[in-house]
Amino acid sequence: MMMNSQDKITPSQAVVILVNYILATGILTLPRTSVEKVKTPDVWISVFLGGIIAIIASLIIVKLSQKFPEKTFYQYSQDIVGKWIGCFLSLLIIVYFFTISAFEVRIMAEVTSLFLLEGTPTWAIILPFMWIGLYLISSGINGIARLFEIIFPITFVLFLLVAFLSLGIFEIDNLRPVLGLGVMPVLKGVKTATLAFLGPEIMLLLVAFMKKSEKTKAVKVVLVGLTIPLIFYVITVVMVIGALSVKGVVTRTWPTLELMRSFEIPGLIFERFESFLLVIWIMQIFATFTITYFAAALGLAQLFKKNIQPFIFGLLPLIYIISMTPKNINDLFKFGNMIGNTALFLFGVLPIILLIILRLKGGKT
Amino acid sequence: MKLNYMKGRFKLGLLLSFILLLLTGCWSSKEIEDLGLIVGTSLDLETDTNSREESEEQEARNSNKELITITNQFVTSETTGSGPKEGKKQQAYKNVSETGDAVLPTLRNMILKNDKRAFAEHSKVIVIGEDFASTFNLKQTMDFFLRELEMRPSALLLIAKNHASNILESNEPSKIPAFQLVEMMKGHKKTTKIIPPMTFAKLEGKLYSEASFLLQSVVSENDEIKFVGAAVIEGKTKKLRGFLTGKELEGITWITGKGKGGLVTSFYEETDQPIIYEIISTKSKIIPHVDGENISFNVKIESEGRIAEHWVLSEKTFDNKFLKKAEKATEKEVERLVKNVLDKIQHEYQTDVSGFGTRLRIEYPKVWEKVKKDWDQIFSGVPIQCEVNITIKDYGTSGE
Repeated sequence: MMMNSQDKITPSQAVVILVNYILATGILTLPRTSVEKVKTPDVWISVFLGGIIAIIASLIIVKLSQKFPEKTFYQYSQDIVGKWIGCFLSLLIIVYFFTISAFEVRIMAEVTSLFLLEGTPTWAIILPFMWIGLYLISSGINGIARLFEIIFPITFVLFLLVAFLSLGIFEIDNLRPVLGLGVMPVLKGVKTATLAFLGPEIMLLLVAFMKKSEKTKAVKVVLVGLTIPLIFYVITVVMVIGALSVKGVVTRTWPTLELMRSFEIPGLIFERFESFLLVIWIMQIFATFTITYFAAALGLAQLFKKNIQPFIFGLLPLIYIISMTPKNINDLFKFGNMIGNTALFLFGVLPIILLIILRLKGGKT
Repeated sequence: MKLNYMKGRFKLGLLLSFILLLLTGCWSSKEIEDLGLIVGTSLDLETDTNSREESEEQEARNSNKELITITNQFVTSETTGSGPKEGKKQQAYKNVSETGDAVLPTLRNMILKNDKRAFAEHSKVIVIGEDFASTFNLKQTMDFFLRELEMRPSALLLIAKNHASNILESNEPSKIPAFQLVEMMKGHKKTTKIIPPMTFAKLEGKLYSEASFLLQSVVSENDEIKFVGAAVIEGKTKKLRGFLTGKELEGITWITGKGKGGLVTSFYEETDQPIIYEIISTKSKIIPHVDGENISFNVKIESEGRIAEHWVLSEKTFDNKFLKKAEKATEKEVERLVKNVLDKIQHEYQTDVSGFGTRLRIEYPKVWEKVKKDWDQIFSGVPIQCEVNITIKDYGTSGE
């Protein structure tokens, strides 16, 4: 797709896209995955450190993208390392994007069929979800940004509401001692925590969509866009461990949902609150799904210099097939880890290499 | 013009036929009249050999294996007001029992004798019989309840003295015992003889750690349900170790400082007449001391309260001297309660159910890592000092 001149987003829209992309599966599983590694109540420190690492990595990504303000990664990678390697790298990233979008779809299907739509076949949950996603992204980045602007405040308010309602079963002793066994356990959890912050890679493309005069604000966008999920994650981890204790968290498949199911508040209009969490969570999954789907389709379009529409339709069955590949939920979690590890290389190491190459080249000419 | 009109018609028709798809109503709706809401469940060890023969399936496999009896308390449209009313008052609940060798198969067998579809989303309480709890590891038997989606983690767990199924019976037909238990549990704010509620959410953490813990115990006397003390669950085996009496439970509540209200009855030194102290607030501090290999604890209990009642004729509450004496007497009584229960849990049961381990974990995490495996055993030999400080703040509307 050749970029339309109207396809421009404001910095605040960029922030919202970033936040909605990052918040996804992690909200429900992060307390478990990180406690498994850390084994002490200091998990929240790991999450904090993970967030900071993610911020550093995304600053590098932004710096790289700002060198080519009018181009997305798919276009400028060829300028840096030549046509063939550039194409190869772009393809890798495209594969990454549609794999992650398949992963999100499947996780969504697993959770909904367990908690909401018992007995509904998986394909029946996935297909409408994907079709609506297709409808959304066919109108381009602007449509996506506007929808995300609606999703974000709802998420924000409902999430804080349900998180603080669980204060009733919070026990501070479950979070103590702080750093009782030193910093080693904390460091063990940092990698897992960092993986929960997957998402800043979208800045490889987003910078190109920002208005010319506002490109310098990209750094600010990243800082704000990562701090908000960081706060969300720290609150989640603290509340879940405070209520369920370290030993209780590791055995739960979806600890955060478990937390919401653990208390009832009689007297309010609603007594049970897990459906609130599921509502915002499904919206977040939808956001992550659509933005990665769009990123993959855009990549293909720019690589082949064709219109984006056929690629959008072409990717749909591919995403569906990938999402149905993992046999059970354990396979699915493994699949998620694999994606995470790939991302660490693709977006942690690659941008630095590219920046260095660019510096060396710039020195010569 | 005509063509345009036709086109519009066609579009409208298409739209309307799509709307039909949305108007199919609720796909998997379950009518509430057809549901049997499970509000409480009790688990017992089956001792009756007759029923053992009845359950043919299990016999074929292993006749010596212990069987369990599960009783579900159902509330259905017939047991509540909307059902048929024929002169005599109907019970508000319906109990169904079934025997089997694991929880879910037994529950499923209830389908064979129940016309209502069982629905456990509103299950409030699970009562475990004494025999059951001392035979089985709770980690194994509670697995189903922690795994099943329909059971909410906000359900309460109680231990019954004698038979658990008796707890779910009531001689007042209008009452639902399961709800009664939940309401009674709220009394823990007014007395030191009820422990803070142990829900499944909290239970999970306890089951998967080495820690011993307490569960509220309940007994049915002359068809009356009554909370009596607490059941001690041993950390290693997760089986019932024994019971604490109400008095002993009071001691535990003083040690943990979780008492939000309650009374202490002491006797006036000179005349042996009762003075009743009512708790307004309690604070307790368990301070661990580690000196090389030796671990010891100091328990500092502070409480503020009022004189709620006294039978001492010779003294007036206007007199500070009397208040001081009353404070002393109350302190002595609390100290006695604490020492009494410490003796029991340290020497008889050898289980730490009062949070000493937690404090050690928080203050000396490195030491805790070493001792946590055999903590209950080490705890039984640990010296514990106790210090009680009572302040009487007021004495109500009478100065006598």
